Amino acid sequence: MAGSGSTRRPALHLPLGRAEYGEALELQRALHARRKTGAIPDTVITVEHDPVITFGRSSSREHLLVSSQELEREGVALFEVERGGGITYHGPGQLVVYPIVDLREHGRDVKRFVGRLEDATIATLADFKIASGRRDGYPGVWVAQRKIASIGVYVRGWVSRHGLALNVAVNQAHFAMINPCGLSVQMVSACDLSDQPIALEQVQRVFLDRISERFGWRLEEASLPETLGDENE
Amino acid sequence: MNTNNSGIEIRLPDLGEIDEVRVVQWLVEIGATLAEDDDLLEVETEKTTFVVPAPIAGQLSEIVAAEGSMVKQGGVLGRIRQHA
Repeated sequence: MAGSGSTRRPALHLPLGRAEYGEALELQRALHARRKTGAIPDTVITVEHDPVITFGRSSSREHLLVSSQELEREGVALFEVERGGGITYHGPGQLVVYPIVDLREHGRDVKRFVGRLEDATIATLADFKIASGRRDGYPGVWVAQRKIASIGVYVRGWVSRHGLALNVAVNQAHFAMINPCGLSVQMVSACDLSDQPIALEQVQRVFLDRISERFGWRLEEASLPETLGDENE
Repeated sequence: MNTNNSGIEIRLPDLGEIDEVRVVQWLVEIGATLAEDDDLLEVETEKTTFVVPAPIAGQLSEIVAAEGSMVKQGGVLGRIRQHA
């Protein structure tokens, strides 16, 4: 666990708001390259995606349960990406977090990195009086047998991209389009587990605090031009 | 020894506290000329894709861990023949 605020390392938070998956993917790749050269410190992108289904490196097409015509009708995009894990749905009402982190500064430990993302999520949900946990051998965050947050990461040159998706208030019908990770698991949103309404912005604010504690960051909000550098302004 | 006629062993780097990884795909073919740190292959563990870099410059001479196989920490992935 990190020490006091004064010993924390500066890191950036880049809030994208609502954005298309492809746009955020390009941005992640650009920031990943800049993190590798040390042009930027650890950077956390937060985003809420337009509806999209993505395939990770362990995906099977069989885990997509609807036709391309149905996807088109529902306005759901499809991407095949480099992250680990299986098929995943992203959409409105979901907090997506992409930590662009140099793991060499955090113990060069892939499992610990994933564990910190899970821990930050569990601590965030606890703030909203939702008890969640890990399931051995099944990365992600679970409420009993239901999945509330999915994880899928890519590490190259010890720098990460992709990350975590936490369901706050997701259209449950959209989850029915996939068999997540081929596990036939049920997905659940925080809103379904709480008597109080929960806003995405609230969850994001708490999550950023919890993840900063775990990585020892002092987060500062940054803009796109600041993180992408002069040549992209 | 970690060398033989077909080159120097490429081992799975220490990724921290993990037992084993699955080989997703090799990104280069046998015979490819590599600089140190070039991308060699992708492995997956804990829902994480990790790109293994070339430990030295040379030519990829052998693939030991085929796509889909499981490799333990420190296990041999392939071999690189160093340039003379």
